[in-house]
Amino acid sequence: MLNIKYQKYILSFIFCFLFFGCSSKKEFAKPTITVWHWMTDRKDAFQELSRRYEEKTGVKVNFELYAPSDAYTQKVRAAAQGNTLPDIFGILGEMRDFASFIKAGYVEDLTPYMEENQAEWKERFFKKALEVNEFGPDNAYGVKPGIYGVPIDIMTIQMLYNKRLFKELGLNPENPPQDFSEFLNIGKRIREKGLQGLVSGWAELWMIDCLANNFAFNIMGKDKVIKTIKGEIPYTDPDWIKVLTLFKEIKEAGLLYDGIVTMVNKTAEQIFANERAVFAFNGSWCVNVYRGMNPNLDYAVMLPPKVSEKFPRSIWGGAGSSFMVNANSKLKKEVIRFLKWLTDKEQQIFLSEATFNLPANKESLTQIHPRLAEFADDIEITTHPRIWGVSEFPRVIEAFDKGIQAIIIGEKTPEEVAREIQEIKEKELAKKRSQKE
Amino acid sequence: MKHPLYYKTKKITLSILTHLFLLIVVASCLFPLLWMIGSSLKTQQTIFSDMSLIPKEMHWENYYHAWKQGGFSRYFLNSIFYTVSVVTGIVLVSSLAAYAFSRFNFVGRNLIFYTFMAAMMIPIPGSFVPLYVLLNKLHLRNTQLGYILCMINVGLSTSIFLLKTFFDKMPKELEDAARIDGCSKLGIWWHVALPLAKPVLAVVVVFNALNVWNEYVLALIIFDNRNLMPLQVALTTFQGEFITQYPLLMAGLTITALPIILVYFLMQKYIVKGVTQGAVVG
Repeated sequence: MLNIKYQKYILSFIFCFLFFGCSSKKEFAKPTITVWHWMTDRKDAFQELSRRYEEKTGVKVNFELYAPSDAYTQKVRAAAQGNTLPDIFGILGEMRDFASFIKAGYVEDLTPYMEENQAEWKERFFKKALEVNEFGPDNAYGVKPGIYGVPIDIMTIQMLYNKRLFKELGLNPENPPQDFSEFLNIGKRIREKGLQGLVSGWAELWMIDCLANNFAFNIMGKDKVIKTIKGEIPYTDPDWIKVLTLFKEIKEAGLLYDGIVTMVNKTAEQIFANERAVFAFNGSWCVNVYRGMNPNLDYAVMLPPKVSEKFPRSIWGGAGSSFMVNANSKLKKEVIRFLKWLTDKEQQIFLSEATFNLPANKESLTQIHPRLAEFADDIEITTHPRIWGVSEFPRVIEAFDKGIQAIIIGEKTPEEVAREIQEIKEKELAKKRSQKE
Repeated sequence: MKHPLYYKTKKITLSILTHLFLLIVVASCLFPLLWMIGSSLKTQQTIFSDMSLIPKEMHWENYYHAWKQGGFSRYFLNSIFYTVSVVTGIVLVSSLAAYAFSRFNFVGRNLIFYTFMAAMMIPIPGSFVPLYVLLNKLHLRNTQLGYILCMINVGLSTSIFLLKTFFDKMPKELEDAARIDGCSKLGIWWHVALPLAKPVLAVVVVFNALNVWNEYVLALIIFDNRNLMPLQVALTTFQGEFITQYPLLMAGLTITALPIILVYFLMQKYIVKGVTQGAVVG
């Protein structure tokens, strides 16, 4: 009797288990998209967008934050090796890192999605924002031509000046220096008033590289810069020596903040925000940084001064942050749908308002912070090493940037630095040639 | 024969110089700590303009915000669990291994020992990717056990080296006496070797506790589930790509530093003994 009683319970339990526990949830369950990102500043904004998207489509999007960016990079590399990459992720680093992920088959080619419906998705973006995610025909990395990333925001790196200090120097704050000689002349006034000139994080070598390349593009044009990287023109060329000499002239004019070569950008931002420097060289992200440090700071954005009339000026910029789609994701269609939604005008405006970053969608520019708009105005003249199609050897870049530091502190002459860079360049080229053989 | 005043002056001068030097060392050690506490009581704006150690207005609420925004409650418990588990594991495994390396003769003893020592030379970030792949294959990635095993592995080499050096100099007569009293090999390790090794064990505990408490890169790499992350990950909440919320970060740092300072104070007596006495045993 007892056994029969228990049998009833057991059968009821099995029935309930089969009915509730094993009923196909898959039919009703909406997929969950996983996104790995490193953007701590955008954490809350992404959560809000995720909520809105789920409300609209029922599709859940998990934004998982892994910061700082160094640790994030390690995680993405490890996950690629372990074949556990999420549906959407970002690749930080140089173009060659990006290329190696694509060649290993981890990143989806987005060109067909970008081109469909009369290239509606592609047309949303600033051309420059897409370029950093694009590999052209015959690229040096051996990657199949196409677009491999979706830009979320853009950035430009420019010069800034403090309007109040400009007035104190007897200058018109609405009329910043246009050419290099005007810029150098301000140095004299700065010295007389006992102020400090240009501040920037030049202990972080890439920032020096950025300004030096701006000057190089203006003096010799893009083609000659690319030819130098390819090894067809030496760094001892008079144009390159002129680029290096500019830093000597800026220093001698008293335009550089004391200790600039050992300064990290965070310190430089703090100094400019506290009105202890007339000029700064910084990226568009600084709008949010200065707002947090000193909301009353009165400043404006200007292009780096023109050195030559021969070639147009260029500044570093393009995509700030981009997302890539996992080529092995089972939710590819949903992922593309979500990324299209994320880069829609409405979401881009929301992201820009919430995080003070420049939107990648060009239609969103009308509704952004005026100071950010100043940075965005010059997006069409931006360039970036990632879009040059060739990469300089890391050792050469290091020698170039450290050489500029040495010129600033008066340790070496521009000619000496140029010779040293060229020596390293030749060694690297020889090494590359021997590897090929 | 010099005048007694000469010796007295020399003694006083030396004492002043020594104390001055020690005061500078103390100041250089304490200043960052005091700056951290002072900054934790400022606002985001005053932190860049008010350079004083003691702010005019104390914003104690920063501690509350840091605790809430960083989700410290969960991460704190996680870190305590990881620290206790890893340190216990390291103490057990390394003391057994060190004792075996010191006392037993077996084939390949030196080879295995030097392999362990060689592992000390490998920079930890260099082993992240292989560890990730290994844990993934063992289905231990994104699990607490996987993380604990990795961290035990990280701390073993140095601990084995410290303990082996100690056991090598421990008089064998003590073990012989224990053996006559009927102790097994494991019994000698437990009743004789370990109690004598207390000062070295204290050093092993503090160094490894500090290491586990401050670790976050490996945790970030192997955990996908944020609920499993240790305390240090909470601090990254306040460090943006471009903006850092310094007052909250400093409050968070103060909170995270407290337990480890406490551990140090509790074990201070043994650590000093361990460092100064080193291998003086029995």
